[in-house]
Amino acid sequence: MSEKTADGANNNPTDGSTDHDVMIRLEHLVKRFPGQDEAAVEDLSMDIYEGEIVVLVGPSGCGKTTTMKMINRIIEPTEGRIILEGDDVTNVNPDQLRRRIGYVIQQIGLFPHMTIADNIATVPRMLGWDKQRISERTDELLETVGLNSSFKSRYPKELSGGQRQRIGVARAMAADPPVLLMDEPFGAIDPITREKLQDEFLRLQQEIKKTIVFVTHDIDEAIKMGDRIAILRQQSKIAQYDTPERILTDPTDDFVEDFIGSGASIKRLSLSRVSDIKPANWPVAEISEGHNSVREKMRAADREYVLLLDERRRPKRWVSMDDIEGDGVPLEEAGWPAVAIVEENASLYNTLDTMITSYKGSAIVVDSEGSYKGVVDFDTVLKTIDSMRPPDQRLGHINEDEADPVGGER
Amino acid sequence: MTVDARKGTLLGGVPRWTGYLIRPVLLGAVCLALYLWVNSLQLDSIEQRVLTQGYIVQRLIEHVWYAFATTAIVVVLAVSAGVLLTRPFARRIVPAVVNAGNIGFAVPSIGVLVLLAIFFGLGFYPALAAFVVYAFLPVLRNTMVGLQQVDDSVIEAGRGMGMSKSAVLFRIELPLAVPITLAGIRTALVLAVGTASLATFIDGGALGDLIDTGIRQSRDSILITGSVLTAVLALFIDWLASIAEDVLRPKGL
Repeated sequence: MSEKTADGANNNPTDGSTDHDVMIRLEHLVKRFPGQDEAAVEDLSMDIYEGEIVVLVGPSGCGKTTTMKMINRIIEPTEGRIILEGDDVTNVNPDQLRRRIGYVIQQIGLFPHMTIADNIATVPRMLGWDKQRISERTDELLETVGLNSSFKSRYPKELSGGQRQRIGVARAMAADPPVLLMDEPFGAIDPITREKLQDEFLRLQQEIKKTIVFVTHDIDEAIKMGDRIAILRQQSKIAQYDTPERILTDPTDDFVEDFIGSGASIKRLSLSRVSDIKPANWPVAEISEGHNSVREKMRAADREYVLLLDERRRPKRWVSMDDIEGDGVPLEEAGWPAVAIVEENASLYNTLDTMITSYKGSAIVVDSEGSYKGVVDFDTVLKTIDSMRPPDQRLGHINEDEADPVGGER
Repeated sequence: MTVDARKGTLLGGVPRWTGYLIRPVLLGAVCLALYLWVNSLQLDSIEQRVLTQGYIVQRLIEHVWYAFATTAIVVVLAVSAGVLLTRPFARRIVPAVVNAGNIGFAVPSIGVLVLLAIFFGLGFYPALAAFVVYAFLPVLRNTMVGLQQVDDSVIEAGRGMGMSKSAVLFRIELPLAVPITLAGIRTALVLAVGTASLATFIDGGALGDLIDTGIRQSRDSILITGSVLTAVLALFIDWLASIAEDVLRPKGL
């Protein structure tokens, strides 16, 4: 074994530049089910870093769930080693091992004959916590997942699907395990609730910083949830293990490209925030300055339009020279109302969407208070997209056919 | 069932308790009517010897003893067998055991009774053994169905959180199988009360003695007393079992 472990780095993330420690290391895992010729998982090695969400994604039957279930040994590997926090756990007592690893499955699997409190207390009780501590932990967890203590005495059947899923997550985190395994946790939930739960979970992860192995077949979910994504082909062979940004901009081969599907550029845009790009300078004036000052600023900046702000620097009107030729029209009513406003933390995807609906193909960026930060237009976004590409594919200039993200969607 | 139970709790205890009380009141009325009717008769010497309080109570106790002893033994044997047969290692022998159980159930109970008497002699214990054979299948079958209907995801979640196999069995699988298993036990109890009437044919006593005597001696009073008491007992025990089902069903199901 020992001579093999050296090349375990094969499937480490390509950028390699992480300062986290390895939380889970899988070394040459193989799983053969009895009576099957082909191995379900063939020689899989990968490192999973502390505090990251790693998404295993791939087509049905690629072995992603089998791979995940080998980490807590619900499925025992035929060959290979599993190393958790530096300990080889391949042969330790599986029940003890599993109490260190949270486990969330698609069907949730709440115990229907136990109250929510008892469900959550499952692992802490096995670990011998006292009642007081369990009770406090249960309250804390219910709050963490956005429910309250009144749920403690309820039974699972009295809860909605979304609430059950939250309890499933709370139960998995009960004993504060460093690692969570999640098998399509949001798979059986309606799309609206799913999106909400995904957002909540990401926010929660900001606080708890668990190491999470997340299995899904949905590439969009993978892109949204993953700090890193491992795209798996048959027999759990890693096609690419990388950050979502790099997978979208630089897929290693046709398999990955096909799996991402159409609209990779658009998907890529949902990963960047408008605050990541430098907004263009635009002449602005406060309404209180009066007509003359606005006209001067417009001439000085050599732009067709000026953006008017109110006294709290919130965008109000777009005005052209024609609109304010005379002093007849008050500035509050001149030109067009300033719509197409996005907050700094909006994704580029949403920003672009807003731009398309705006008059001039530009969007006004504001901070969370609503005051003006800058203006972004198509050119700025296209330049940003270009800079996301690997260097050898960069255009250096804007080419209408390839760089237009809208056209890219086909 | 679930809905009824919920309604009961929502409306408070009162409707549920009146529901529970209907049957014992009716059964008591039947017994009273029987008593008054027998008292109004001119009993001859044979009837006077049989229709005494001491004799009837003794037969009744025997009958109840058969029913509960049979059920207790069947619960221990059939529930254990049901647990073992639903474990993965037993998958192959399940059809054989279920078939054997089917045969025990399909053979007329009187046949099992007589066969066992031929091999083991007359009296209480061979009769008890025959009733156990006869009541085994419903409990076994229901235990197995009860365990098999437990959602795999619930078991996987339990195992995935580090519960041992036995913890999953005792804290998850068996509690969740309780409603279906109890229904099987209730069937077994009622079957046992019915078949216990046959014990008289191998000198095993119980209320069957009254029925048998009534037929042999052509004494309708004895026959009717024995039959009515057997029926009342069966309905009463079924009533007790229905309460047990309601009380023991895990909350939340």
